[in-house]
Amino acid sequence: MTVDEQNKHQLVNQRHRHEGPQKHIVAFIFSIVLTLIAFAAVGAGGVNPAFTILILLVMAVLQVFVQMGYWMHLKDKGHMIPIIFMLGGFFVAGTAIITALSWMWW
Amino acid sequence: MANAHTEHGKGQLPHYPEKATLEGRNKILAFWLFLGGEAVLFGTLFATFLTLRNQTNEGPTAAELFSLPITAAATFILLVSSLTSVFAIQALHRHKVKELIIWLIITVALGFGFLGLEIYEFYEYMHKDNFGLTTSAFSSAFYTLVGFHGAHVAFGVMWIGVLIGQLYKKGLTVVTAPKIYVSAMYWHFIDVVWVFIFTVVYLLGKVG
Repeated sequence: MTVDEQNKHQLVNQRHRHEGPQKHIVAFIFSIVLTLIAFAAVGAGGVNPAFTILILLVMAVLQVFVQMGYWMHLKDKGHMIPIIFMLGGFFVAGTAIITALSWMWW
Repeated sequence: MANAHTEHGKGQLPHYPEKATLEGRNKILAFWLFLGGEAVLFGTLFATFLTLRNQTNEGPTAAELFSLPITAAATFILLVSSLTSVFAIQALHRHKVKELIIWLIITVALGFGFLGLEIYEFYEYMHKDNFGLTTSAFSSAFYTLVGFHGAHVAFGVMWIGVLIGQLYKKGLTVVTAPKIYVSAMYWHFIDVVWVFIFTVVYLLGKVG
């Protein structure tokens, strides 16, 4: 289907449904909860630091899944190339971090 | 529906105007490539910060310096602004130009709020805590990483501000829609970077 055909098709399909805000509000609440858990883990104190760091990392990774998956639509169909771009970027970023730390301190 | 577009006399705006043209789709794809590059840029800054974060040169340490309430407020502001930019894109898909502009203005206002907090924070560190750019390896790495993110927020605020002007002037078309969509992607990405900053810089700094 060409773009023009697609547009015509969409014009005909007047009862086309748009996604509502509910899904995004749920994603927002979820990311607020993840943030609160991370802040609480640090604010509470008295917890084993290694365990706190683990909680922080898990919360950050979950948060990225929520934001990139839902708000940047990476979980939707047809996003294979963007996912490859982003994973490539994260891979190089992670390599830089591990390399710098291991050169200096390990 | 699509009354915003009728003055062009070319019929209705497509349902997904940001993806209706090849140029629009190419812009979005290319922007993903750019964001992959941005991930590498911030990755190297995080690598530097993580490596040097305990080299305080007898200056203030992270645990002494940081205040969690301010960080929490900045985080909340940025998270809400990500939600308002999602609402802006939903208004775009429903072709509601006024609503779209209002959400974009709220997003920009929240961006300014975030910048204000950050400027206040940096000012306090510099003048109250004697924590300057050259105080220690930790301070240099901190200001470079957090400042780079702040500069991204400042750029985003200006960018979205200009797009609001274009929306007023040109309305919502297959040309302006991809620009709005791409700026929203940028804004979400800045929020993602902030997630790592508040985790790695502030919270980890408090843990030690």
